[in-house]
Amino acid sequence: MIFNSEISGQQQHTTSPVVTGGSVIALVYNGGVIVGTDTLCSYGSMATFKNVQKIAQISKNTIYASSGEFSDFQQVVKELAKIDRSALQYDDGVHPSPKDYGNFLARLSYKKRCKINPLYLQNVIAGFHNGERYLGLVDIYGTYLESNFITTGFASYFCKAIIANYWNENCTLDQAKQVIRECFKVLFCRDCRAHDVIQLAYVDAQGAHIEEPERVETKWDFNGFKSRANEKLHTQ
Amino acid sequence: MNYTDILSSKFEPETTGTTIMAVIYDGGLIIGADSRTSSGQFVADRCADKIDYIHDRIFCLRSGSAADTQIIAKHVRYYIDAHAQELGRLPAVATAANLFRNFLYEYKDSLSAAIIVAGWDPYKGPQIFTLPLGGSVIEQKWSIGGSGSTFIWGFCDSNYKENMTLQQAKAFVLHAVAHAMFRDGSSGGIIRLLNVTKDKIEREFIDYKDVPVK
Repeated sequence: MIFNSEISGQQQHTTSPVVTGGSVIALVYNGGVIVGTDTLCSYGSMATFKNVQKIAQISKNTIYASSGEFSDFQQVVKELAKIDRSALQYDDGVHPSPKDYGNFLARLSYKKRCKINPLYLQNVIAGFHNGERYLGLVDIYGTYLESNFITTGFASYFCKAIIANYWNENCTLDQAKQVIRECFKVLFCRDCRAHDVIQLAYVDAQGAHIEEPERVETKWDFNGFKSRANEKLHTQ
Repeated sequence: MNYTDILSSKFEPETTGTTIMAVIYDGGLIIGADSRTSSGQFVADRCADKIDYIHDRIFCLRSGSAADTQIIAKHVRYYIDAHAQELGRLPAVATAANLFRNFLYEYKDSLSAAIIVAGWDPYKGPQIFTLPLGGSVIEQKWSIGGSGSTFIWGFCDSNYKENMTLQQAKAFVLHAVAHAMFRDGSSGGIIRLLNVTKDKIEREFIDYKDVPVK
């Protein structure tokens, strides 16, 4: 994932990220789709911005979250909101479906990738439309895929196993929330750029609901951790 | 750092991107460290003990490359052990600091190691020696190191006082390390404290839920 700024010439955007957001985990459940992120934006290795909402509501039944450069996330939110607004011009009551947003973002990302001027993001679009659950992933190159569960960033390494073992596509909302919480616990322990305050958002037949941030509980007081002391290795 | 040319950019050497601290108080010294060892963005060890034993009253705090600092500490531990046997009494903290210095100075182009040597000896009482990257040795009353230390210079400069009590020194170290862990992505987990006095060494484990700043 190396974009050489010399090649693109005039206008340079995100060839290497500055302010970055962490992993996104999204699952389908029996009544809709749920997305979870943490609330941290990092400035390199510094945990600079701690109370950031990284899940945006795009339309009544679509939400969007992404990991990567945060300014690109904000730009995409603007672009997708533009689409929703311009649909009003037709004055026919028809609004873009979640898949329409996913498709648009995929084409936009691919176009920018071809100009060596990418949106430095892994995007997740989630929605509920006409009784159908929708979950789409668009990556930095414009690769588009739909799935029942999506992870971005470090979560792709650590959380797929947890999801595979504890989740199924017809679980309840509470079960899906618990799986996501467990995933973020592992991420907080093993990802340097993760934070233990997370935010969940879900879309069901009633529309989009973005919840208040919550802190996940992690366990650190194992006897092995406490009793670990280097003097024991070297003294009788 | 020539090894990064040899290896692909995907592999990052394991470092103690870290927060380490030592403070002298009236009667001894307090050593504090976080517990995160990172390999790039991955937390390789979330409960590490960065307070390395050199001798009964001499400890070192390691930052930089985990491999470099571990092997140097191993050598110094061996030399100090032999030296203490011959001496028949506790070695001077300055001796340990000098042994570290010899490594860091002679191999300065190949190493990525910054060390804080802290301990108590019967000749000069509690002492702290800071050994930054080039191999210089600077004696200090308090010292902070590691990537997390950049975030707490202001806090430490304004909160340090000479001749603190044990409780004051502990609170100072605990809050400073907690503040550094709050902002540094390469520091985190639990806080380990060590109180070094003439009579004893006392370890304390600060669980994540008791860390004052989260």
